[in-house]
Amino acid sequence: MGKNSNRPSRRNFIKYIGAAGAVGLAGCVGEDPGDDGDDDSDGVVIGSNHPLSGDLGGTGTRMDNAVQLAAMIKNEDGGIESMDGAEIDVISGDNQGAQELGGEIADELVDDGADVLTGCFSSPVTNAAARAAESSSVPMVISVSVDDAILQENDLNYVYRPQPPAAQMAIDHADLMPAAVRDAGHDIETAAIYYIDIDFGQSVRDRLQEELPEQDIEVVETVSVDFGETVDTQVTQIQSADPDVVIAISYEAETVELVRAMDNQDYAPPFLTGCSNEALNDRSALESMGDTVEGALATNFALDPTNDRAAEVRERFEEEFDQSFDANVAMTYASTEVIIAAIEEAGSADPDDINDALNDIEVSDHIAAMPPISFDETGENENALAPLFQVQDLEDRVVAPEEFAESEIDL
Amino acid sequence: MDPSTALQYVAFAILLGGIYGLVALGLTMIFGVMDVINFAHGALMVVGMYIVWWGTNELGLSLFLTIPIAVIALFVLGVGIHLSTIAPIIDSSQENQLIVTFGVLLIIVSAIEIVFSADPQRLEFGLGSVQFAGVYLPLGQLYALIIAVLAVIIAWAFLQYTQLGRAIRGTADNRDAAQYVGINVPRIDYLTFGFGAALAGLAGAVIPLFQSIDPHLGDAYLINAFVIVVLGGLGSFPGALIGGMIIGFVHVFGQVFLPGSGYQIAIFLIFILVLLLKPSGLLGGDVHE
Repeated sequence: MGKNSNRPSRRNFIKYIGAAGAVGLAGCVGEDPGDDGDDDSDGVVIGSNHPLSGDLGGTGTRMDNAVQLAAMIKNEDGGIESMDGAEIDVISGDNQGAQELGGEIADELVDDGADVLTGCFSSPVTNAAARAAESSSVPMVISVSVDDAILQENDLNYVYRPQPPAAQMAIDHADLMPAAVRDAGHDIETAAIYYIDIDFGQSVRDRLQEELPEQDIEVVETVSVDFGETVDTQVTQIQSADPDVVIAISYEAETVELVRAMDNQDYAPPFLTGCSNEALNDRSALESMGDTVEGALATNFALDPTNDRAAEVRERFEEEFDQSFDANVAMTYASTEVIIAAIEEAGSADPDDINDALNDIEVSDHIAAMPPISFDETGENENALAPLFQVQDLEDRVVAPEEFAESEIDL
Repeated sequence: MDPSTALQYVAFAILLGGIYGLVALGLTMIFGVMDVINFAHGALMVVGMYIVWWGTNELGLSLFLTIPIAVIALFVLGVGIHLSTIAPIIDSSQENQLIVTFGVLLIIVSAIEIVFSADPQRLEFGLGSVQFAGVYLPLGQLYALIIAVLAVIIAWAFLQYTQLGRAIRGTADNRDAAQYVGINVPRIDYLTFGFGAALAGLAGAVIPLFQSIDPHLGDAYLINAFVIVVLGGLGSFPGALIGGMIIGFVHVFGQVFLPGSGYQIAIFLIFILVLLLKPSGLLGGDVHE
């Protein structure tokens, strides 16, 4: 086809591509502010700041539902006892997984009456939201976000994180995984790391590269994946390096792509593991990945399999929302339990009172597979733990440490 | 790097390049004829993806039946979008058209999110791969490459040898002159938009063969498709395929030799170089401003 001679189209085409690139990179595809407007209830309001749309919208929506469910169950049980049965309301904001919306949504939720915040899944978004919470003097309990820097490089007095951060995830993986493999009589000397190339993946990768050599494991290959990519090339790279273990730090879709490419190339490393990998804790994802992931090992925060209440919550969630209950949902629910315990302890909806309670709290009655949750001076959980799972019959089973183990490791 | 590994990378680059070329076809057609920068192209691809996924997984239709269904459905959708949104503003500034197609993108993606959720979806079966001369060829990508090459040949032959194709080319050359010689330009416009959307649908339809899908997957392909359209030459079908191949090679070998997502930097450096050295693209005509 030729060119229309009377329009400066090429220049415009290029100009608009540039504009679109900028818009696309900024992730500005609309906004979904808190849905309830100004709050005038006598209860306590939790502001849930998660990606309800966008690339992370599927998991984000389930996490938001976990917050809703925790509040619902507390209300069904009579509400906040120390506040004469006051009810908990949840207002939700959609951060779309976009960094620039993290703080904006947090501010909107506070304006709409949130007394305490939770969120945000994506680390850069959480970072922005945490700063907004701090400047509003409204406490925020991180639901899921792994980047160490959120709390450890900022002096925040209103932000708390029950889950293990990247450093702890990597330490637990480097500690528990090789020990389990070696205890079962196998050698493990080399590793390849497959990571999603965003803050989350990079921070866990960096820490694993420090921790694995401490356990006499050499990292022989490191490959990255972007959202929406196929990973045939990366699998060939990994195969060429011939590692004893392939460690995947990725979301569900990228883990599924890894497994698909491995299947296509008839490649099966001696061990496949995941560090902070949601797909290996998601039973519907495990089912779709099939036999290739059978026996895979993963460290991640998790539902406590030894706790009957945890099983009840899982069942109720699946019944209520017809969605799968993965590790992110479990951790979000546990974080909301921490918030509710703090409100109960404070006996007040005042953000400063709730913050004071969070500072001193120790929450033993939660559904996560970790010891009682209490926070150090940076807001990190002093007892955070990422237990080791194994995929057995396409279900995630905790195999270490012993106090949370529901099954023996089988290699 | 041993020769067999290098050969494997070359195979992946060709397969990926074919998919990129297919994605760029509809984009280059709509821009070449109508001067409309269709930001909804990625969203139209996503509709094609979900038709194939839903038809196959939920309705139990044959995979190779759902692909033509997606193409036809997207043609109809494209004509509908054109008549309802583009046609009324076809003579206004490109900014207006751009905003409208961006709006269409948001509506389509949001609608898909509402209906199917943002969770990644995948076909319940894998197509597997074949091994040839020590090289693995994933069948999903291989089928996509064959479909891409066939689509280029058919689209090119259609434009060269049919009366409608000649009318489309005439309109692309000069809309005013086309009108003077009796071509029904508004009809050509909606048919072109429909064909472009159908090509987007075809590109989207083959993606579930080898990849998980989600409502935002179109974005991942769209930005590189824009680069390919400029690299191959605006409006050139063979240019789209060649541009796709080049970007496929840069993508794969960039992944091998550059850290992290450095391949994207390489792709955009090529984009800048083309603009500086040959702004008409590899197979584009002369630029008349």
